Amino acid sequence: MLRTMITATNTLGQLQSQIDTISNNIANSNTAGYKAKEGTFSELLYQQFNNDQLDTTVRNSPVGIRYGVGAYLGQIQTNFAQGSLQSTDRDLDLAFTKEKQYFNILMPDGENGIRTVYSRQGDFYVTPVENGQVMLVNSDGYAVADSDGNAIYFPDNVSNFSVSNDGILGVNYPDGDKLTFELGITELKTPQVMEHVSDTYLGLPTNVNELGYNEADILVDIQGAARNEIGMTNKSLEISNVDLSTEMSNLINAQRNYQFNSRAISIADQMLGLINGIR
Amino acid sequence: MFKGFYTVATGMVSQQRKTEIITNNMANANTPGFKSDQSTIRSFPDMLLSAKGKTNIPTENKLSIPQINQIGSINTGVYLQETLANFTQGSIYGTSQKTDVALINGAMPTDEQSGQVGTIFFRLQHPNGGEAYTRNGNFTLDGEGYLVNGQGLYVLSAEGERIHLQNDEFNFTQEGNILVNDELVASLGVSFSANPDTLVKQDNGLYRTIDGTNLPSAIGQEGVSFSMKQSYLEGSNVDSAQSMTDLLTAYRAFEANQKVLQAYDKSMDKAVNEIGRV
Repeated sequence: MLRTMITATNTLGQLQSQIDTISNNIANSNTAGYKAKEGTFSELLYQQFNNDQLDTTVRNSPVGIRYGVGAYLGQIQTNFAQGSLQSTDRDLDLAFTKEKQYFNILMPDGENGIRTVYSRQGDFYVTPVENGQVMLVNSDGYAVADSDGNAIYFPDNVSNFSVSNDGILGVNYPDGDKLTFELGITELKTPQVMEHVSDTYLGLPTNVNELGYNEADILVDIQGAARNEIGMTNKSLEISNVDLSTEMSNLINAQRNYQFNSRAISIADQMLGLINGIR
Repeated sequence: MFKGFYTVATGMVSQQRKTEIITNNMANANTPGFKSDQSTIRSFPDMLLSAKGKTNIPTENKLSIPQINQIGSINTGVYLQETLANFTQGSIYGTSQKTDVALINGAMPTDEQSGQVGTIFFRLQHPNGGEAYTRNGNFTLDGEGYLVNGQGLYVLSAEGERIHLQNDEFNFTQEGNILVNDELVASLGVSFSANPDTLVKQDNGLYRTIDGTNLPSAIGQEGVSFSMKQSYLEGSNVDSAQSMTDLLTAYRAFEANQKVLQAYDKSMDKAVNEIGRV
């Protein structure tokens, strides 16, 4: 009898994870650069029972019976589709207009120094450093890298910023001077392989070689002529691509399934009760 | 001892198995490509009952001849004989992944011997050698750019090769051809099983042949037509209302068996404690 219960409890735990994924999507439906995640179920192990060894009836199916022990979340895939653009009228709000392109962010990584992570969240700021210089940072205060992988510094008292379609940041001064910086932009060929570091940051898995993958297959640093492929605009942000109506219907579906499996547990419990009640 | 005492016990065991199978169906109500399991319950082989007696012939010496009178056959129990997957098409639903693909059955021939309707599957390379088949088209790309299923098993093309794609910028046509920039890269392999009941169902929605032989390709198979749809998945064909009803029916059948068991127990109680009382 316990198998009914085990099957249902296995599945309940996994359904809980799906509900967690959905609620995280809903919670981030207003996060700039957030990409929705989709959980898909898969079947758990099947077990073979040879309960009819003496049975010689002609039948189609192979000997014995087989049945499974529930479902688990087989894959959680990220939907990398472009989110819609929200106009903000702020010079340093940058947004990509093409999929799979990411800003290179220099994230401090404890003793290892600096780790390059990738994000599409483009609300940038400047932070003062020494000698009247400022540094381009993102909302977490991490430096934004240029195409050579270095942080971007320029003198303070900027009048405004401009961004060209191919990812060149122009810093304009009141006296008419203009500095330009090529923003470091990476195209993630197979973003599903990337490790989700935190927030909206993706990083190359540290064991990428052990996994047998070639780094060049996964990400491409966009340099030189290829920069024409970049699609970037400023004064707007890419909002998340969470579709609230889909999430809500998935939530209802998951919740009903949860009830369904809980019901199986209570029925299993009643059956155990019947066994106990034989005498 | 009463024969029926054990008969009801087998009844309870088989109803219990049935609830286990139904629970697994319900658990997989959201699993793409899942085919619900149906169970068949069968009685134990026939047993012939005879009454041993004798006939007295009124002769001088009172001759009596032993005689066996056949009473009839009984079955002393039931067991769950077969679990058969129901291979009917599940409904398809949209996703946002380009690597998701739904397989949609068209016309399928009926096997003349078994009366079974054939069905088609995606081809996967099984790590233990040979091929495995699945209806779950929730695929993804691995780091090397091969099309794999959720567990990392390679999806095979019509030629039986792994499918290498640079990224997910590709299109599946209805026929299963994979186009990158309108150029044909590979076409998805689809296998046909004339009698899918002979397949063994495994975890992760895999089906394998019992002897390890590969199924024939469905492409060009006579009487078989199918189509594919990118960014769609085939949902499971579990009917929740039906499953719940079946579960409650199995529960009540279990309860009824338990009641009969109690009745037997009461009879035995009488036999043991009352008949012999002086």
